[in-house]
Amino acid sequence: MNPFDEHPHGALHAYLDGELSLEGSLEVEGHLASCSSCRRELETFRALRRLLQSAKSDAPEAESALMRVTRSVRARRRRTFAFGGAVALAAAALVAVVVVPRSGAIVQEVATAHARALDTGRSVELASSDPAAIERWLSTRLPESVPPTAGGDGFALRGARVDSLEGRPVATVVYQVRSHLVDVFAWRSAEKDMEPRPTVAGRWTVCRWSHRGVAYWMVSDAGTEDLKALAALIKEQRT
Amino acid sequence: MSVEDESRDFERFARPHAAAALRLARTLVRNEADAQDVLQDSFLRAFRHFRGFSGDSPRAWLLSIVRNVSFTLWRKRERNEPGEPEPTLEAEPDPAPSAEAQLLEASDAAQVHAALDRLPGLHREVLVLREMEECSYREIADILGVPIGTVMSRLSRARAQLIKELVGDPRSKN
Repeated sequence: MNPFDEHPHGALHAYLDGELSLEGSLEVEGHLASCSSCRRELETFRALRRLLQSAKSDAPEAESALMRVTRSVRARRRRTFAFGGAVALAAAALVAVVVVPRSGAIVQEVATAHARALDTGRSVELASSDPAAIERWLSTRLPESVPPTAGGDGFALRGARVDSLEGRPVATVVYQVRSHLVDVFAWRSAEKDMEPRPTVAGRWTVCRWSHRGVAYWMVSDAGTEDLKALAALIKEQRT
Repeated sequence: MSVEDESRDFERFARPHAAAALRLARTLVRNEADAQDVLQDSFLRAFRHFRGFSGDSPRAWLLSIVRNVSFTLWRKRERNEPGEPEPTLEAEPDPAPSAEAQLLEASDAAQVHAALDRLPGLHREVLVLREMEECSYREIADILGVPIGTVMSRLSRARAQLIKELVGDPRSKN
């Protein structure tokens, strides 16, 4: 018995495309054996397939485009390393004589710097979301600076300014998360890595941590989870 | 994982499908410069997210990104033009005379591309994915985000229409 009372138009495509079960294929073949119109149709579709395959263009540029993308990703990272490395060497001598500041005093300074910047509406001296532009700007103002991290994960890079902590100028990079500004102070330091543990001090959430020869202070009116997330983002982009 | 390792992994992941990605981009945007932009943007997006990829077919995943990026570009470029509507159901094609197959054999690549360009985008892409990239119905369904039944009906309409374009056009008959 022929299971197709009519021509199996849909199944013919699925048959051509190898998408039928063995049983389905046998049914279509049974119909084809007795239906010249469907055989012709199948022949036409096969001719169309050969034609389309012969018209398939080469796309060798596609691979070069892929390589350009991955190369640029790597180059961006290498530049960051090269810069960081040079500064770290130059800074090594300095760091040796800088007394690691006691947190009690510096936390006050950090919070004050943040509050002053907000109160005077001067959160950033350079408004930019481009880490390379910020890095250039900082490098002309500070003997040593830490390349800033691009934003991401809800944190937008807003710009930078230079503050004074413990009588030394330091780079302050400003991020925004939702409606909150976060100041990130960073400087080269010999202290060993320290996990970020944000604490709430009055109006502000502050967080001190160290990672790979850089000491960070962060201050914001955002919550502790936000500061942890930003620290994780900065770490991730430096590894 | 370092960016170095990650980017090498991504190269291995994406390289086998790079050409297919560019061909699909060309199918969808029809202009080489835009196709290259779409490709680069798609690779960047894919790179950012490929660690989270857990599907069966990297190719289907990458091509679905190409498709999304292409549509974003469309919306940006052709905001004034109405989007291409879902093709309405057409009459089933007439049984093909055997002469059609011979006429098709006589067509060349330029005629094929010209005929493809006259089809709606939804027909063009399904033909390219099936006949040139040899994607399965499942992969096409994943790329287009439609059920397999829709892939089948769209493909049968697209084939019928392309045959009509190639055979019915007097320019393709010589």
